[in-house]
Amino acid sequence: MRLNPLTLKKIRRFRSIRRGYYSLIIFTIMIGISLFAELLINNRALIVYYEGEVYFPTYGQMIPGSFFGLDYEYETNYRQLRKGFQTENSGNWVVMPIVPYGKLETDFKEDTYPPFPPSFQEKHYLGTDNVGRDIVARLVYGFRIAIAFSLILLLINYSIGISIGIAMGYWGGTFDLLFQRIIEIWSNVPFLYVIIIISSIVVPNFMMLVLIMAVFGWIGMTWTMRTVTYKEKEREYILAAKMLGASSFRILFKHLLPNTISIIVTYAPFAVSGGIVALTSLDYLGFGLAPPTPSWGELIQQGWANMNAWWIAISVISSMLITLIVVTFIGEAVREAFDPKLHTTYE
Amino acid sequence: MTDNLLEVRNLKMYFPVKSGIWKRQTGVVHAVDDISFSIKTGETVGLVGESGCGKTTVGRTIMRLYKPTDGDVIIDGKNLKNVDRKQMRDLRKTMQMIFQDPFESLNSRHTVGEIIEEPFIIHRTHSPENRKKEVAGLLEKVGLPGNASGRYPHEFSGGQRQRIGIARAIALKPSLIICDEPVSALDVSIQSQVLNLLLDLQNEMKLTYLFIAHDLSVVKHISDWVAVMYLGKIVEYTDADSIYENPLHPYTQALISAIPIPDPRIRRKKKIITGDVPSPITPPLGCRFHTRCPFSVEKCRIEEPKLEAFQSGMVTKQHLVACHFAGELKF
Repeated sequence: MRLNPLTLKKIRRFRSIRRGYYSLIIFTIMIGISLFAELLINNRALIVYYEGEVYFPTYGQMIPGSFFGLDYEYETNYRQLRKGFQTENSGNWVVMPIVPYGKLETDFKEDTYPPFPPSFQEKHYLGTDNVGRDIVARLVYGFRIAIAFSLILLLINYSIGISIGIAMGYWGGTFDLLFQRIIEIWSNVPFLYVIIIISSIVVPNFMMLVLIMAVFGWIGMTWTMRTVTYKEKEREYILAAKMLGASSFRILFKHLLPNTISIIVTYAPFAVSGGIVALTSLDYLGFGLAPPTPSWGELIQQGWANMNAWWIAISVISSMLITLIVVTFIGEAVREAFDPKLHTTYE
Repeated sequence: MTDNLLEVRNLKMYFPVKSGIWKRQTGVVHAVDDISFSIKTGETVGLVGESGCGKTTVGRTIMRLYKPTDGDVIIDGKNLKNVDRKQMRDLRKTMQMIFQDPFESLNSRHTVGEIIEEPFIIHRTHSPENRKKEVAGLLEKVGLPGNASGRYPHEFSGGQRQRIGIARAIALKPSLIICDEPVSALDVSIQSQVLNLLLDLQNEMKLTYLFIAHDLSVVKHISDWVAVMYLGKIVEYTDADSIYENPLHPYTQALISAIPIPDPRIRRKKKIITGDVPSPITPPLGCRFHTRCPFSVEKCRIEEPKLEAFQSGMVTKQHLVACHFAGELKF
């Protein structure tokens, strides 16, 4: 595929804005880490060498403890297995991930109560929360859920918002008028209350929460797209296409959409950070995803409740801060790079 | 059968003015108000008038970009009022348009090749390989380098971009081309090149032009006939020479006296008409020009003059004018 030189120029300009470019790299790495989190943060071992055979328990079926000669039928505790192998000195070995704790696993110790402070020896690098779950694990898996949430939300919101907005702008007339009024009414529904009411009846799962958010979230993009379409469709290149006898479908997808894409792209990063904030605040209020799910909102809530366990609040707030700053920097750089004032081709 | 390729009869195009949340109609813009003219095959009619007088709307209404309020547009014997969508699509092959602003009328996201081959794709007239060949032929015809097709419009100058627009317009070998101020956005030095290209193409392809412009000297260069428009109406219609030598309507006379003469030593008394064009939402009663006409009398304020043939010994060609005192006034 050959890119339009104008697009290339925009990409080059984006790369020249160091802050945004490095933020994009950091953000990509963060998403990459969260996607392969099972290999880095897991209570399952990466590799187990037992009686001349090599096992990779990370992905796949749960392996009961009895399989490795232990006296229980539930899932093997690989940390204990590793210690056992080391003391036995039988040539068997276990390689654990960097953080050998699961996202839901509670790590209790005798004689004390969690939360436990950060400890490199225990490999709880950021400590544990108040039920003994590793905070690094909670943060990374929580990030994965939050980012998936906001990306799926973005996709749904934009598909609905862009289609309706373009249709409103392109066909105008009664259709536009009707939808404007519907949207005005719809956007006045206090959506937080709706979510609170729904959550008090059923505990929403991931997809349900996305859909509830999407039901109210598509509106913003509609206004923007409507206005842009109104502006674009009166330009002469659209008239030229009409005059050639182009179908509405062709005009919309070949002419209008490619010319509005820069606006869509400009809004996207801010929508992503908005999605993360929305999910986190819902979780914080307790109206988000059901409790054992790793979530930043829940961690913030815990940090608030256990102020003397400073490591909870500090780690989650700094992760939140870094993520939002990074996304905002990307958004800023994209906006800067796509600024139409820099790319007018008028002489 | 007449040999008129295009006939416009009593064309009216009113745009509603809407306001309020329910968008009730509160007024009407009389953009084009009862216009009739015709163009013979192979001829060029120039349509002149100041900005906002409705000349662009005439062009776009003929192209069916707007649905006219009233009146008939007859192309090649077919009344556009009576054709269905499919026939309209086919008719679009015979009529094309060149736009004013060569920066606006080309989609900046498509390559020049994609822009010029779009008519072939829309009308499914050529196979993909033939399309490339046709595009190369068209580029040569309008005087653009052969490697232009892979480049984007913004890499070209205004004149070159207008050539791209012309190539797109002649791609389907139309018989009628509406030129909507094709040179007014260009440098004076480029204007004549583009005009000569248009004239060459007219000879070569037997094209018929409706040439819309606000520059009378440009129109004189290219047109056989000239129609002068004021506030949605044609006020004078005659051949290109007569309009210069013997303008009858005071508005035309004022327009002609405003043409600059490229010689600083010649001092001419310019007759500048003052004031602005009245609002087309509430056009003045009587003669539409009476608010600015230095000769206006009571009759002009009350009675609207008709566009009628002016008879005089000197004039042999058709000369229509809408003024009560045609022939009596001299600026």
